[in-house]
Formats: sequence, C-alpha cells, structure tokens
Amino acid sequence: MKKKKIAPVIYIILCFIFLYLPIVVTMVYSFNSSKSLTKFESFSLRWYENLFSNGEIMNAVYVSVTIALLATAISTILGTITAIGLSKSRKVLKEVIINVNNIPIMNPDIVTAIGLMILFSSMKMEKGYLTMLLAHVAFCTPYVITSVYPKVRNLDPNLANAAMDLGATPFQALTKVILPMLKEGIFAGVLLAFTMSFDDFVISYFVTGNGVSNISIIVYNMTKRTNPTINALSTLVILVIVITLVVINVIPIMVRKKRERKAILIEKPQELKEE
Amino acid sequence: MKHFVKLIRPYMVWAVVMILVPLLLIVLYSVTTGGNDLINIQFTLENFKKMTEPIYVAVFVKSFQLGLLSVGICLFLGYILAYLITKFSERVQSLLVLLVTIPMWINTLLRTYAWICLLSDNGIINAILGLFGLEPVTMMYTDFAVVIGLVSDLLPFMVIPIHTSLCKIDHSLHEAAMDLGANRFQTFWRVTFKLSIPGVLNGIIMTFLLSISTFVIPKLLGGGQYMLIGNLIENQFISVGDWNFGSAISVILAFIILIAITSMKRIDKDEIEEE
Amino acid sequence: MKKMMKKALCLITGLALLTGMLTGCGSDKPTLKVYSWGEYIDTSLLRDFEKEYNCKVIYETFDSNESMYTKIQSGEAYDVLVPSDYMIERLIKEDGLQAIDWSLIPNADGLDEAVMGEEFDPDNTYSVPFFYGTVGILYDTTVVDEADLEDGWEILRNEKYAGDIYMYDSERDSFMIALKALGYSMNTTNKDEIDEAYQWLIEQRDTMNPVYAGDDVIDNMISGNKAMAVVYSGDAAYIMSENEDLEYYEPEEGTNIWQDAMVITSDCTEVELAHAYINFMLDAEHAYANTVAVGYTSPVVEARTKAAEEDFAGNSAYLPDVEGENDEVFRYQEQEIKEYFAELWTKVKAAN
Repeated sequence: MKKKKIAPVIYIILCFIFLYLPIVVTMVYSFNSSKSLTKFESFSLRWYENLFSNGEIMNAVYVSVTIALLATAISTILGTITAIGLSKSRKVLKEVIINVNNIPIMNPDIVTAIGLMILFSSMKMEKGYLTMLLAHVAFCTPYVITSVYPKVRNLDPNLANAAMDLGATPFQALTKVILPMLKEGIFAGVLLAFTMSFDDFVISYFVTGNGVSNISIIVYNMTKRTNPTINALSTLVILVIVITLVVINVIPIMVRKKRERKAILIEKPQELKEE
Repeated sequence: MKHFVKLIRPYMVWAVVMILVPLLLIVLYSVTTGGNDLINIQFTLENFKKMTEPIYVAVFVKSFQLGLLSVGICLFLGYILAYLITKFSERVQSLLVLLVTIPMWINTLLRTYAWICLLSDNGIINAILGLFGLEPVTMMYTDFAVVIGLVSDLLPFMVIPIHTSLCKIDHSLHEAAMDLGANRFQTFWRVTFKLSIPGVLNGIIMTFLLSISTFVIPKLLGGGQYMLIGNLIENQFISVGDWNFGSAISVILAFIILIAITSMKRIDKDEIEEE
Repeated sequence: MKKMMKKALCLITGLALLTGMLTGCGSDKPTLKVYSWGEYIDTSLLRDFEKEYNCKVIYETFDSNESMYTKIQSGEAYDVLVPSDYMIERLIKEDGLQAIDWSLIPNADGLDEAVMGEEFDPDNTYSVPFFYGTVGILYDTTVVDEADLEDGWEILRNEKYAGDIYMYDSERDSFMIALKALGYSMNTTNKDEIDEAYQWLIEQRDTMNPVYAGDDVIDNMISGNKAMAVVYSGDAAYIMSENEDLEYYEPEEGTNIWQDAMVITSDCTEVELAHAYINFMLDAEHAYANTVAVGYTSPVVEARTKAAEEDFAGNSAYLPDVEGENDEVFRYQEQEIKEYFAELWTKVKAAN
C-alpha cells in the first residue's frame, strides 16, 4: 500500500500549492523592503508601519469586523427563530418561505446587490454603514436558516411539549430545551454567516456610500497601483483567520478526546460516529 | 407548540422588504425607461430587445463558456482531490479538509490581487522562467489569467461537497461490488461516482453560480476589455448609468440561473429515485 | 412568545443603534464630504485641513466622471466635487452646483490666468481649477521607432505594435483618439462621424488587441510591460519620473485639453468650509505638495514653477503643450448623443 500512495500525495501537494501560492506570495512580499512585487530585496516592516498609520485602511478593518459580527449576530437570531417557527408552520407557508429564502442563495451576488441598491435608493436611504449592515443581514440570514432548519426538523416535536407540560414557559422551553439541541446547526450557521459577510465585496460595493468601505472595497480601490500595504493587511487577516479556524477546529477535537477518555473510563469503549 | 408559529413573522416581513421588493424593483426597472426617476416612467420592452443584439449575446455566450470551462476544470481537479483525501485516515482527512477550507475564508480580492503579482509580465512566474533562461510569457489580461483566478477561487467550493458525499458512502458497498465481480473501474464508476453525484451537483451549482456572476476577477485579471455578464451589469450601473438596461440584463441572468439550477436539481432527484 | 420576539427585536434595534452611534453620528464637528479622482491628492493635507479647521473630511474617490455622476444620481450628497470640464458643464446645466464666492478664496490670486475662463465655465462662476493637462501617447523609446510617431494617433493601429499597447478605459478619451485620427472634432454630434470613429476603434481591437487599462497602466508602464500607452499627461509625468526610457508625445492632429476643477454642489450645507477647503488647496505650498505627490500639472503658478524646476526637471509631460491648434476641450453632450456614445463604447469593449 505504501508505494501506491506516492502519486496521490504528489497530486494533493500540487493542488495545495495552487491554492496557497497566492497566499504565500502575499505574505512573503509584505515583508519586502522595496515596492517591487517580484524582487525580494530585504526584510522590513515598513508596510506594516504604513498599514497602522493609514486611517483609511484601519477604518475599513473596523467596518469589516463590526459589520461581520453584527450581521452574524442578527442573522443568527433571526434565522434561528425563523427556522424554529418554520418547522411548526403550515405546509404551504413553509414551502413559500423556504423558496423565498432560497432566492438570495441562488441569485447571483450581483443581482442581489443591484436589487438592494435600487431598494435603498428608492427609499431615499442614506447609503453607508446602516445600509451595508442591512444588506449583509439580508444575505446572511438565508444561510443560517438553511443550516439550522434541517436540525429543527430532526427534533422530536414532543420535547418542547413535554417541557411545557412540566411547567416550563414557552420561552424556557425554547432556550433550555430546543436551542441547546440545535447547537451544531446554529454554530454552522454562525460560521457561514461570518465568512459570507467578511468576504463580501460585490454587495457591499453597491450598497455603501458616505466613505464607509470594508476591506474588500479598499483592496479593490488600491489594486490599481502596486501597494504592498495591501499585502501587510492580507497577511494579518490571514493570520487571524487561520488562528481562529484552528482554534475552532481543535477545540471540539480536544473536547471529544476528553469525553472519549472519560467514556473509556466509565463505560466500555464506544464507537464514535462521525458526521 | 403553536406558540412557536409566530416566530416566523419577523422574517416574513423582512423577506418581503429585503428579498421580494428588491427583485420586483429590478423587474420594474427592466421593463421601463426614464432612468432613476420613478415619476416619469414608461413601460417598454426595448431593454430586452437590446439584449438580442449580437454583441450582447456574445457577452452571454462568452460568460457561459468561461464559466463552464472553469467549472469543468474545478470538477476534474476537485473530484480527484476529494477522492484522494478520502483515502487517508480520519484525522488526516479532517486536517486536509480544513486546509482546503482556509483559502475560502480569505478575501477573494486579496487572493486575486496576489495572482496579479504572480502573473504579470514582470511578475514572479516570469522571473522564475527567466532563471531558466526562458522568454517571459504574457499571462495577464488573457483568458488564461481569468481562468486561473476563477479556478483557484472556486476549487474549494467543489472539493468540499464532493468530499462530504464521498464520505457518506458505506464502505461495504465497495466490497460487495468487488465480491460480485466488478473490477476497480466498474466499482468506482457504478458505485462510488454514482453515489457521489449529489455532492458533484452541489459543487457544480456553487461554482457555476459564482463564476457566472463574477466581475471582479475578470476586471482585475482580464482588463477593461474583458467583458462578462457581471462586468456588463456593473458597467451599466456604475459608469453608463443606464439602470434600466442593467436591470434587464440582471433579470435575464437570474432567469437563466434559475432554469439551470432547477434542471440540475431535477437530475439529482431522478438519480435518487432511481436508487 | 411575544416577550421573546420583543427581546430579539430590542436586541437587534439596540445593536443597530449602537453601531449607528459609534460610527459617525457621535461627533458634532462640521463634516465636509469631498468626492474626487483616485490618487489625486497628498492625503496628509486632508489631516492638516481637519486640524486647522477643526472639522472632519470624508474623502471619497471615483475612477471616471460617469461613475461620479451615477453616484450623485443615486442620491448621494457631497459638498465638494472635483470633476472634469464637460462634467462640470453638465452639472451647471442641471443646476447641480452653486456659484463660488471668490472673495472667500484669496489664494486664487496665485492661479494661472491662462487656465481660467475655459469654454465650459467662461467666467469661472462655478469652478476653481485643480489640475490640468492633455492626453497623449507614452512610449518606450527603446521599442518604438520615432519615425512611426509621425503617423500621429494612427500609430495606435500600426500592426508592428500589435498586442503591445494600452488604451485608456474611458469612453470619451477613446472616442477622442478615433475622432482626432479621422480628422473630426472630438465634440462632434454627427452620427456618421461617430459611427466612423466606432469602426476605427473596432478595427483597432481586431488588429491590435489592446488592453483597456485603468490606473493599472501606471505600474505596467513603469515596469516597461508594453511599448505604448494612452495616458493623461500627469500620469505620464509620474511614470517618466520612475522609468527613464519613456517619452510623452502629443499627436499634431490634436488632443484633449482637460481640466479638473473644484466645484461646490448645490446640496452643500457647509458652504464656508467648502470655500476654505478650496482656498487651502490653492495655497502654493499645498498645491506644490499635491502636484509632487501625483505628478499632475498644477494651475497654481508658484507651485508649478517650483515642481517643474526641481522635481520634474526635463520631464516633458509635466508641462504639456496646451497650445496645439487642433486641441480642444470636451464639451457637454446632449442626452441622446451621450447615450449613443455610451452604447457604442460598451460595444467596443464587449467586442471579441
């Protein structure tokens, strides 16, 4: 078996080179002392200094992060309660809402963007932070619903009833019984919503104004001239994301291991099913 | 349980305002003239008629060709990658999947910007070619650059769903097929591939959706003369200011996508029913 | 259940309000919104202005007059704009601007009389010049044969240089080139002439395979990626200061003499501050900082002379020839003609 594995490993490595080449290049040249993107002259942190002294970029970072956090929070709440309500609705209503909910997912970004832009203009709303946030919630919520709803459907409908029979208020039934059981779906929704929001360019580009820009828009405006400050920014963004992802992925493994160990101690070894 | 039915009400209002109204506005713009003044609109089908001019039809054809080409390349590279990943132990698999996901989290624009550094006439790739005494190759502003940019952006969207559906396949099916006398190729084609079709279709839909509507990647890597549907729409809204024609193109694009996705889903359903 | 909903709603609105307060609404300093070309200012001047006048400047940029106009049409309000000639004329015609109170701009004394009173605003009622220049061909002297330059704009269709040129991704400038090459006025309204120019551009696309670049042409030409590029004189000056092999050339068939000027919109509420901003930019020292930072020619005589003698000595693009007898200034286009151009330009770019 060992021999056969060489070709696949090479293939996988090549694929990863292809995926990571732009990322690595960005990171390496963020430490270049000259403006050139081809010749690496010497190590320097000048682009990082530039980055932190550039108010425009720092502001964009602030906008990107806060919008992503807020949009994620709002769309997670909105999406989760909708998913719960959806499972209890009449069939026709359910189908209509699910189909409408699918529109932003299926529609090309640019169409969604233009629809929202026309909406905001015709409502005479001043474009800026608020319009951007509303737009982000609009395209994030459908993803939350699609990741939470299947989990709600799998719930035993009697659980909440049982809780309420035992004297829980509907609110308690929701927070103490239902929500904990949807944890995984909600978590997946949070991740998806955050990525979607943080990475978005097209929709933000069309609905923003008044000097409010996120990272993507800044990068788009700056790509016209070579500017390694962008590389410095990318490197930091990449680091933050990689660290977050690793933490997110490592913690469940560690928790699971702990549980496994406990399980071994307490009961007989048990097979863990992987999704 | 009826208590929870009301939970969908906020989203119903939200979906009407933020999903349906924008769509209706686009449709309204597409069948009227009179620009941004909603007061003096006139109904017309001129905008759609304009779309039938050969030059605009050519833009659609080119976008679809390029989209399909990128999806095809992604499918080919991605399927092999996903398949090979499943051959590893579970722990290595989840690491590899994480590695495939990470680039997805990093801003598309940042990665595209890095490709400019790699591909430009005096970029890194040409510098490396120069070390071997090879003539520099012009890659920027060509189909090649745009396809490279698209594929590296879309590949993870293809790998993840395929990998998920490959993982779900019960291993005993392979053994059964082999026991029944199927050779390796037959086993792969008749069992593995067939059972992974839902993932493949999901991957195709995702990558196709993203590639058909993009305007950033062609603009940055293809130059101003690289006109795809997304660029045409952006052009109408941002520089020409003909929102009516821009809306008409968006409507047609959304319509085509809708048909494409519905037919794909039908294939998916047929496959499942066949089983 | 209602409670739950209310809670959620409260949370959502609370969060929205909070961010609303965090971003912007918080300060009661006067705010000036400026909308100008990208890479068109020494940005440190904005901070200086903010300090000196205890205000906040929101500085946004556009990459074409048309996209600026669309943005304004979509309901966006600004105080100071820096559009070009024909767009200023259009904004004047559409009552989008308010008259300048020249008494609030003492630094105007330093302006070069020669760039004042252009056709688009004969008495400078509305506009204060910011930068001016021409459009020309930037060429690599190591590649381009000087003799070929005698063809004028037609050199852009010389197949010797096929695949080796950058056009400028701008509707009016591209049509200007074609119309001038054909010997017509760039402000023509004759559809036959426009169609002919369209054919010129389509044929150029077929035979020359040009790249329609935006500002990315700057880096590309500094690196010497292609033999020729259509550029604004100011960009040429900057590029030539970074790459000595390049030279700037204005064909004799005439070119576009353009001017970008500061104007105050009719929406502007901070009128005094807007005048202060304009005056600030005309200060010889500030104008010098701007012109050195971006390479465009300043209409402020003192700043221009200093830059021409020190920073751009021997740089032919910094002081472009604006006296050519075939040169013109872009004029306002009637809606119908404008749409006609816009559609043809989309077709040129979409042609394959």
